Amino acid sequence: MDIIFYLILSSCNSRKFAPTKSLLHPRKSLIYCEHMNNLDRRNFLKTAAIGAASLTLGSASVKAADKTLSDDRIGILVDTTACAGCRHCEWACRTAHGLPAGELEDYSDNSVFKKYRRPDNNALTAVNEFENEKNPLMPVYVKTQCMHCEKPACVSACIVGALTKNEDGSVTWSDDKCIGCRYCMVACQFQIPTYEWHKSIDPHIMKCDLCAERRSKGQLPACVEICPNEALLFGKRSEVIKAAKNKIKRKPDTYINHIYGEHEVGGTSIMYISGEKFEKLKMPQLGTATAPGISEAIQHGIFAYFVPPVTLFALLGTMMWVTKWKKTNGNGDPKEDQPDDKDKKL
Amino acid sequence: MKKIHFILIPLVFFGFILTKVFPPDTENEKQKNAVITQDKIEQEKTEQDERKKFHENSSMRVSQKLNCKSCHSSEYPTKGDPGLLGCPRSDMISVYHSPEEGPEIVTIDEMSDYYSGVKFSHKVHAEMSEMSGGCTSCHHYNTTGPVLNCRKCHESSRMREDISLPDLKAAYHRQCMTCHKQWSSENGCNSQCHTRKGSESLQNTGKQINKTHPELKLPTKLVWETKSKVNKIVTFFHDEHISKFNLNCTSCHNQESCIKCHAEKKRSDFGKLISRERSIEEHHQPCANCHYGNSCGKCHQDKEMLSFDHKRSSGWVLKSYHSNIACSKCHGGKMPYRKVDHKCVSCHKDFAAEFDHKLAGFTFSEGHLELECKNCHAGGDFTKSPVCTDCHDDKSFPKDLPGKRK
Repeated sequence: MDIIFYLILSSCNSRKFAPTKSLLHPRKSLIYCEHMNNLDRRNFLKTAAIGAASLTLGSASVKAADKTLSDDRIGILVDTTACAGCRHCEWACRTAHGLPAGELEDYSDNSVFKKYRRPDNNALTAVNEFENEKNPLMPVYVKTQCMHCEKPACVSACIVGALTKNEDGSVTWSDDKCIGCRYCMVACQFQIPTYEWHKSIDPHIMKCDLCAERRSKGQLPACVEICPNEALLFGKRSEVIKAAKNKIKRKPDTYINHIYGEHEVGGTSIMYISGEKFEKLKMPQLGTATAPGISEAIQHGIFAYFVPPVTLFALLGTMMWVTKWKKTNGNGDPKEDQPDDKDKKL
Repeated sequence: MKKIHFILIPLVFFGFILTKVFPPDTENEKQKNAVITQDKIEQEKTEQDERKKFHENSSMRVSQKLNCKSCHSSEYPTKGDPGLLGCPRSDMISVYHSPEEGPEIVTIDEMSDYYSGVKFSHKVHAEMSEMSGGCTSCHHYNTTGPVLNCRKCHESSRMREDISLPDLKAAYHRQCMTCHKQWSSENGCNSQCHTRKGSESLQNTGKQINKTHPELKLPTKLVWETKSKVNKIVTFFHDEHISKFNLNCTSCHNQESCIKCHAEKKRSDFGKLISRERSIEEHHQPCANCHYGNSCGKCHQDKEMLSFDHKRSSGWVLKSYHSNIACSKCHGGKMPYRKVDHKCVSCHKDFAAEFDHKLAGFTFSEGHLELECKNCHAGGDFTKSPVCTDCHDDKSFPKDLPGKRK
């Protein structure tokens, strides 16, 4: 049964989406996985069939995740030199996600910067202040939120497919499938997904969803829209990288020559440029290797072509056959049995 | 034979793992490369078409005095590698408008959402900008004719195709915030520029109109102590530079940043001064405009300097008439001042014919009116005291006078 269950999951993770043109319809791709919610018998068999088919396709299933991403997928460039630390994005984010937001004026309080803040279940984004060595009068502000990795570790770690890497680049969480194991929280290198610990009934995994709901209405993500300085540059990922490179080239004195997130952990949808080194801005120093890349390759490699189960059953079968053969021939020729027994013990 | 099972099965098993972890992928890459080269050829074609179009319209562009080097740093820019320079802020502007020519107040409210629009005191800002690069510090791209609107280049919609330029809202805010953020520790929008919509106190609506810069308290004397071991004191007489040399603020303060004056409040917050390393040339630039060729000792001394005294500096006392006239009257209107010797004829060319001795503070008695200058001032040297003994045996200057002092 475990194997069948795994097949269903893998088919859900590696399904192929019909490419949609618009950046702003994340839900379209979600519909493909909705069948998991009301999994009736027919659908179950369908998924199982697709799973079996993907098995026969072999290596195709391992690489399927790449192909689901649209070329027009979203990118957001956080220009830390342009951010003024007004924290309006925090207010807009809370408002857009129905979290207690308070008054916009309350966000002009500078004292919150004294402590380093992470996004939590009440704030899906947080802005932090860092000292600017070049000009102490202009501190550096860095907004943190889900990076929407190209190869998300959380999606890979989720055992029920509650987290989805959508075609548009966003990584979204689904209430219907989550079993609350919080593997995603452990897996994320940026420590982004948070859990509603205070809720005993229906606690959610809370993280930025790139305002899926707003974008489905043709609106920009709330933080992008409210930013007075357009420190959050929204566009196609490819265009955004181009714009970032251009900025660095034109102002080599202002920026360091590094786009954080262009290659980190295999690339992220949210990218940063800065005048300070990123380790000073408490950005985790990660390599370009994707977290799920290695683990998935091993895992998928093991399970490809049904090899381990077939091997396991073959092994067990052989052992059974050997012992049975020994039992039937045991009385007739006991001398031959003894070395075999020793081997087993070893 | 039976043991073969135990060796073969794990071998096959690990073989599979290896192929999955390091899959051979050469064919896919070849295909990708082929697609890329095709794309390149197509890109070059479109580039050529665009170049043709540009040259067809080029007559219009030539009138704007643009050349390739205004925007491109590289010798042969291509679409893929245009080698663009930064937005040519100062180089591009070819018109100059005085602050009075511009609008006094500019209302910016076309995009207001949570906050009301801004009444921007353009004139005050324009006046202050004279000290830091003028119009170009904000209006960074202008060729000829009237100053271009921001919205000419910056799109008002944030959701747009071309994201190489910031949108209009960002363009406005970035102009203001680079300075305002530095001199104010306030973080809110409600304080300096905007009013929150719906709030009753419309503090900014009338405030900006007729706003002028508060009168400045100008320093009289500034004394610096340099790090040097010898001659470490530099004294600068601010008031004298203004009054004696006819300087206005922008003569010296033309590359100042706003925070030079406006950041005082926030500096204490950080407890640090902005201390940017500057080269010796850069450091002395404001003085060197006039004081080129002066030795270091002119300013760097071992004690505080005394204020200017004409007698001490030149050995010539300014009395009566000369003490009241502007320096430029004798030393020329242009900086640096012309050196003048002690001879009257150096300034008073037709001295003898028209000179009215009353101006020197001395009115002659009747008997002396018809005399020539050299009769009293021996040898035409007016620095020496007049000689009375040529005519009068019993009289001598200054005990006896040939008239009345004023």
